[in-house]
Amino acid sequence: MSDTPNDLIPVTVLTGYLGAGKTTLLNRILTENHGRKYAVVINEFGELGVDNDLVVDTDEEVFEMNNGCICCTVRGDLIRIVGGLMKRREKFDGIIIETTGLANPAPVAQTFFVDEGVKARTRLDAIVTVVDAKHLPLRLADSHEAEDQIAFADVIILNKTDLVTPDELEAVEARIKAINRHAIIHRTQRSEVAIDQVLNRGAFDLSRILAFEPDFLDGDDDHEHNEDIASLSFELEKPIDPEKFNAWIGALLQEQGQDLLRTKGILSYAGEPRRFAFQAVHMIADGDFIGNWKEGDPRVSRIVFIGRKLNRPRLRRGFEGCAAD
Amino acid sequence: MSQTKRKADFLIDTRGVQRALDAFVVAARFSRDNATVAFALGDGTVRLVTVADPAGDWRSVDVHEGAVLSFATGTGPADFVSGGDDGKLRRIAAAGEAADIAGFGMKWVEQVASHALDKGKGLIAAGVGKVVHLFDETGKKLKEWTHPSTVTGLTFDGKGKRVATSHYNGATLWFVAAKVDTPRKLEWKGSHIALAMHPEGDAVVTAMQENSLHGWGLPEGKHMRMSGYPSKTQSLSFSKGGKWLASSGSDAMVLWPFFGGGPMGKAPIELAGGDGINCTQVAANPRDDIVAGGFEDGLVVVADIGSSRILPVVPPGQGPVTALAWSADGTRLAVGTEKGLAGIVDFAKRS
Repeated sequence: MSDTPNDLIPVTVLTGYLGAGKTTLLNRILTENHGRKYAVVINEFGELGVDNDLVVDTDEEVFEMNNGCICCTVRGDLIRIVGGLMKRREKFDGIIIETTGLANPAPVAQTFFVDEGVKARTRLDAIVTVVDAKHLPLRLADSHEAEDQIAFADVIILNKTDLVTPDELEAVEARIKAINRHAIIHRTQRSEVAIDQVLNRGAFDLSRILAFEPDFLDGDDDHEHNEDIASLSFELEKPIDPEKFNAWIGALLQEQGQDLLRTKGILSYAGEPRRFAFQAVHMIADGDFIGNWKEGDPRVSRIVFIGRKLNRPRLRRGFEGCAAD
Repeated sequence: MSQTKRKADFLIDTRGVQRALDAFVVAARFSRDNATVAFALGDGTVRLVTVADPAGDWRSVDVHEGAVLSFATGTGPADFVSGGDDGKLRRIAAAGEAADIAGFGMKWVEQVASHALDKGKGLIAAGVGKVVHLFDETGKKLKEWTHPSTVTGLTFDGKGKRVATSHYNGATLWFVAAKVDTPRKLEWKGSHIALAMHPEGDAVVTAMQENSLHGWGLPEGKHMRMSGYPSKTQSLSFSKGGKWLASSGSDAMVLWPFFGGGPMGKAPIELAGGDGINCTQVAANPRDDIVAGGFEDGLVVVADIGSSRILPVVPPGQGPVTALAWSADGTRLAVGTEKGLAGIVDFAKRS
């Protein structure tokens, strides 16, 4: 039985539009000599030019949970595939799931929060999104999905940088940051990126939940932009009252969960030496105490929202209202 | 349950044979002539054991390149059918030869079932993604049935006239002999992940993602809801004549009465519970009102449904129980676990 975190199989979700370079990245991961074996779940079989006896061909089968939560959609095929792969657990070190170009990453991510069998065996490591520097503006203009894939990402491979001018590259990166300021962006050609920048990121690991925040709160994220999705972050120096926080975040996720793609936070509870880490994908939340606050480090609570229709003053007031009296 | 944990009490030690096979035991099945028991494993092999001589040689047959995903008794007296993650549907003779029935490329063969008809005839059904493929006993393809989503459960009715399948948003009953396939659709929103059919054809029951069972009384299709499970039910088994439906998914074997107006409005009985360990497998005896249960810690017990008396069979410690099967004459039980323990226990009366 797998009950220590080390026994849990890391799962990397690879998203991105058709033609962005997902398959190139996948082939790179599978052929590079890193001594690890990956089971790969794909939907567009035929593209993968690499021999791998652990390739699983699936149809993305999303269903809605009957749990009264309207946005709680789950990939039933992944639940079955994880169960099937467990029958030869010793044959691989990790699982990589490639989604179709048009896929919304939420059901994949939610599967790892909702299904008890999947949760007991695996851990969601990171969502990696490959985008095409040249065609991204077009994709953002014609679909919600391209934006969702960026918003959900922990790591963004900004690929095909050789096809754009330096100015265009800056502009496209600015658009990505306007949607998701909290993902790590790697500029690449032919999806060339160090594998350790893609795999084993621990981005959904509560103990590392905000560990990779690039330039957290660097200046003001209020800058004008036209993206539908935005990311907002807040800090609070006063300690937090857990009851107030739970009441506020519970109501917020209930009311606005459909618009809140990802929420992450590290909280300093009054009178508590440990840090409390929190994350949510839409309405599905997860939280736990992680290691102590470091001696001498400022005990500042931080929370990040990535989503649509974010009302900055209201979210700020709500978060500040969680301060202990 | 504490008395069941005393080692000397376990039947596997006094009336059984066990081996460490070092691979996930996906399923165990007895051949129709009861002469052979087969253990299908996660390493792609099937181990064949002569029931009369379980302490003798366990023959290993290489059947799939990956793992065995689905396994059933075959249509003949001494064969088995197997589906793998290598996309193959194969037949294994008790003597040890394996032969292809069909291949499905990259697709996993996740469901397989068979039914023996008169005069050596029979039917084999395999669920591959959304499609169920139906073959005769020679492996000749008879037809295929397509579903709206992947088939998660597959079984023949007691007479081999119908095939029941589970999938998203319900179950479907297909008629084997139909010239034009007009299936009976049993609808209920949600993800249905396992299926059982009442042996007299009185009901179809599925397990659902949300830790409950859903049933349809036949022929009228009346809905039945059976809930209260702390986790997902993976294993369902009707007792002799369909009197009880045994299920996993709780810390006891949960048995719903399918008589006297049940299961609706009746409480289920719970057997071998109380220690907080989840039941993972159930198998009702085909001859008597007895049910075997396997638990997450490796414990296997057999319970008399009438008296609730519990016989300990296998002690905890070898990983979650993943396979349980009775011989057709009800005298032998085969067990298997995730860590590769496989065993056969003899329940026959000794004079």
